[in-house]
Amino acid sequence: MQTYNNIASAIFDFLFAPFGHEIALFDLIVWPVIIGIGALQVYKYTSNQAAIASVKRQISMHLLEIRLFRDDIAQVLKSTAKIIGKNVIYIAHNLTPMAVMIIPMIALMVQLVAHYAYQPAPPGSVELLHLKLDPDAAVSAQDVSLEVPAGTSLDAPPVRTADGQVFWRVKADQPGDHVFKVRVGDEVYEKGWAVGGEARKVPVKRLRNWEALLYPGEAAIPSDAPVLSLELDMHTRPIDFVWDGELGILMWAMVLSLVAGVALKDFFGVTL
Amino acid sequence: MSPIFSRATLKSAAAACAVLLGGALAHAQPASRPGIFIMGVDGVDPVILSRMMDEGQLPNFAKLAREGSYQELGTSNPPQSPVAWSNFVTGMNPGGHGIFDFLHRDPANYHPVSSATPAPGEPPSALRLFGYVIPLGGSDAGNNRGGTPWWDLLVESEVDVEVIRIPGNFPTPPSDAKVLGGMGTVDLRGGFGTYTLYTDTLVEKKNPKGDIEYVSVQDLDLDGIPETASSILRGPPDQFHLEPGQVPSSGDYLTVRVTVHIDPDNDSAVVEVGDSRTLVEQGKWSDWVEVSFDLLPMGMMPVTGTVRFYAQQLRPNLSLYASPVNLSPASPFMPIASPDDFVETIFANVGYFYTQGMPEEQEALKDGVFDDDEYVAQVALVQEDTGRMVDFSLDRFEPGDTTFVYFSDIDLQCHMLWRHEDPKYPDAPDHPAFDPATAPAHAHDIENFYRDVDVALGKIRERLPAGTLLIVMSDHGFQPYTRKLHLNGWLRDNGYLVLKDGKKSGHILTGDVDWSKTRAYGVGFNGLYLNIAGREAEGIVSEAEADALMAELSSKLEALKDPENGETVVLEMFRGDEVYTGPRTPEGPDLVVGYNRGYGCSDESTLGEITEEIIEDNTSRWSGNHLMSPDVVPGVLLTNRKLSSSGHDLTDVTATVLSHYGIQPLAGMTGESIF
Repeated sequence: MQTYNNIASAIFDFLFAPFGHEIALFDLIVWPVIIGIGALQVYKYTSNQAAIASVKRQISMHLLEIRLFRDDIAQVLKSTAKIIGKNVIYIAHNLTPMAVMIIPMIALMVQLVAHYAYQPAPPGSVELLHLKLDPDAAVSAQDVSLEVPAGTSLDAPPVRTADGQVFWRVKADQPGDHVFKVRVGDEVYEKGWAVGGEARKVPVKRLRNWEALLYPGEAAIPSDAPVLSLELDMHTRPIDFVWDGELGILMWAMVLSLVAGVALKDFFGVTL
Repeated sequence: MSPIFSRATLKSAAAACAVLLGGALAHAQPASRPGIFIMGVDGVDPVILSRMMDEGQLPNFAKLAREGSYQELGTSNPPQSPVAWSNFVTGMNPGGHGIFDFLHRDPANYHPVSSATPAPGEPPSALRLFGYVIPLGGSDAGNNRGGTPWWDLLVESEVDVEVIRIPGNFPTPPSDAKVLGGMGTVDLRGGFGTYTLYTDTLVEKKNPKGDIEYVSVQDLDLDGIPETASSILRGPPDQFHLEPGQVPSSGDYLTVRVTVHIDPDNDSAVVEVGDSRTLVEQGKWSDWVEVSFDLLPMGMMPVTGTVRFYAQQLRPNLSLYASPVNLSPASPFMPIASPDDFVETIFANVGYFYTQGMPEEQEALKDGVFDDDEYVAQVALVQEDTGRMVDFSLDRFEPGDTTFVYFSDIDLQCHMLWRHEDPKYPDAPDHPAFDPATAPAHAHDIENFYRDVDVALGKIRERLPAGTLLIVMSDHGFQPYTRKLHLNGWLRDNGYLVLKDGKKSGHILTGDVDWSKTRAYGVGFNGLYLNIAGREAEGIVSEAEADALMAELSSKLEALKDPENGETVVLEMFRGDEVYTGPRTPEGPDLVVGYNRGYGCSDESTLGEITEEIIEDNTSRWSGNHLMSPDVVPGVLLTNRKLSSSGHDLTDVTATVLSHYGIQPLAGMTGESIF
């Protein structure tokens, strides 16, 4: 998992932001279009194009039946049932290309989110750093302490909850890429905090298990660690055209890749 | 989502075009005019201001008065903030703009209604579907204020206008001027600020204005230290489960879960509210947190507000205060500014801020939930908001623009803190609400707030472009409020108001008044209405009788003496049809009660209650007031230019703003330029 994140991040950190992170729209337009084109190629070579064309023709035929025989209820019902059946077949033909496409698409979108959904915290801002312990771990919230890096400060005494969570309110005093050190028993876990400066890929949360794949901005928490998550509330980045935050980036990339795919299908000779 | 063509973008584009076109465009530009910056400081009193200037406590005010002008400014009749600021906004008196009081009465049922919106009409029918009630028809209530705001006239003349926190602008009328509403803007529950107190100890409050939520602090980890409490926070009314026109009861509001986690060792806690959370220290306020309430399942219609918490005490007993849930400035559920994106611009520049009209936690202080220290500390948060707004305005102010910024620093604090020491009459006897234990620490709070405004004035003067016309104005002054008149009780005792079944006390709202025998009744802080036949639902006074009845009432009330001290209670009675001009005069009260210094209408009578008592001490913490005769509470006017005339009132400031840009006043505007 961590190895995958390292490799994916190395690739996309190299490919993304050729003109810097300030110009978000370059990556947010180019990469969804590339995804769309890539998806078309995958679709072309992993699907049964002839069968898809055939089932689409059959669906069109049954639709025509409904228009022509709309006074004949029995025929309309029969044609409707056939359309539903052919749609199931159509979807079945799509499963293979979808299975092939879904992993690289998610990987790329996760990277787009990591690079563009959030922005560095403004200097002077105050946020919550939140640690969640594994309830099965042998440590308690009392065994957790925080080392605050220079350029940040603790704004209030921490709060430890009965269900194994610890909260610190931290203040961004100076710009920089700060690293908190959280000691849990004998282990130390680092958590980054991007403060001020130019737009860039910022760390948001460290997670354990598969969820860590969704947040490649920082190293995953080892699966045998007593910590489930370590996260900082971050500011979403406002971008023209796009709703703020993770969902906005995902929807934008999804819609644009679909639009690109549909617009270019004839050019690439693909039947969708 | 950020707007594609934001105003800033368009402005930049226009500027770029202008540069490109160079001199070709220069000939088409209107002659440059200096701009206007208006500080609207609610409640500044000329007596207090003059004394503090003379004592050298207000160097910036004194400098402005010395270099420019300083004089009294006539207030509205009655001198209530919504009325006064509406006079200023429209250049009309209440007969023109239709705002006569904080409260009006609905002649259809005599009930008091907010003056902000027209009296509600018949509720629409509704469709009931899967347990939901969907109103069919009906429309959002508009703003009741008539007339044309001066900022609309300026925008028509291509003046860039920004108005920050103007009172009486909610519901927000559409406008091309950038206007953020102030006093009168509701919280998410639709009221003027309902707080919530989470506590595990019995609170003995009579009819508190907030929700008291009793909680039990549980020891979930069984370590012997209780640490977790759960409760709810109420948000907007559950509109899709209320019948049209139904007034929500406490169970009819949408709620989110609130969980408080108290640290076992530290005086701090995390409050989880809905999907958000914040950390709060004992004795301090948390930051704002967004909280979302779902009107429909699966988050299909979220209503977002903001709330902040104050930890009065975490251990050994829990007392956690939640502010009223404000409309979120990041995405207000209802328009609180025009154009809609102006509030987003403010939010992007100043962050979260109080959006409710009266952000000071005065209800908590009145209820005794807050002490004076806690109240003053919270007012400081409001002042921080104001400071950021001023910076925001100054950053954007360019020569030729007009900007108005409202300051609530002095008004609310004079209302709430006057009892500690009278800043106007140093030799006055102690206020009935005087508390020797708390007074010494707060005796000079009001003066401190004057000093704070003085500092703001200094900053503004420093940063304004040369030639800008600076106007500092208040809508009214202040007086002590020591004795309260139960006007409806007086009307009953004098035979003008009759209760059913020989009762001595009752309420208009609960149907206790025998309207077939009642000739006059009071609703609002200064309003007195005749029960006119054909106008009121069960009117009995004919038009022919009205003149004589008004004369009789005026004569008797002006002769009324306080049995406690022989003081005149009512300085002057005003006939509505004499003091008001304009088409909406008939909507107003028939008589306006101009109370003497120190007197005012009781809250009970204002809301339509008929009490057994007639006059009694005002022991409320609401101890300063201005709801009196206009003659005893004039406001102030300062400008950085010399004035050659005096005797101006609020509508004259409006006329001055229009005149500055060569704009002709509209019909019905009554003021004249002060220059």
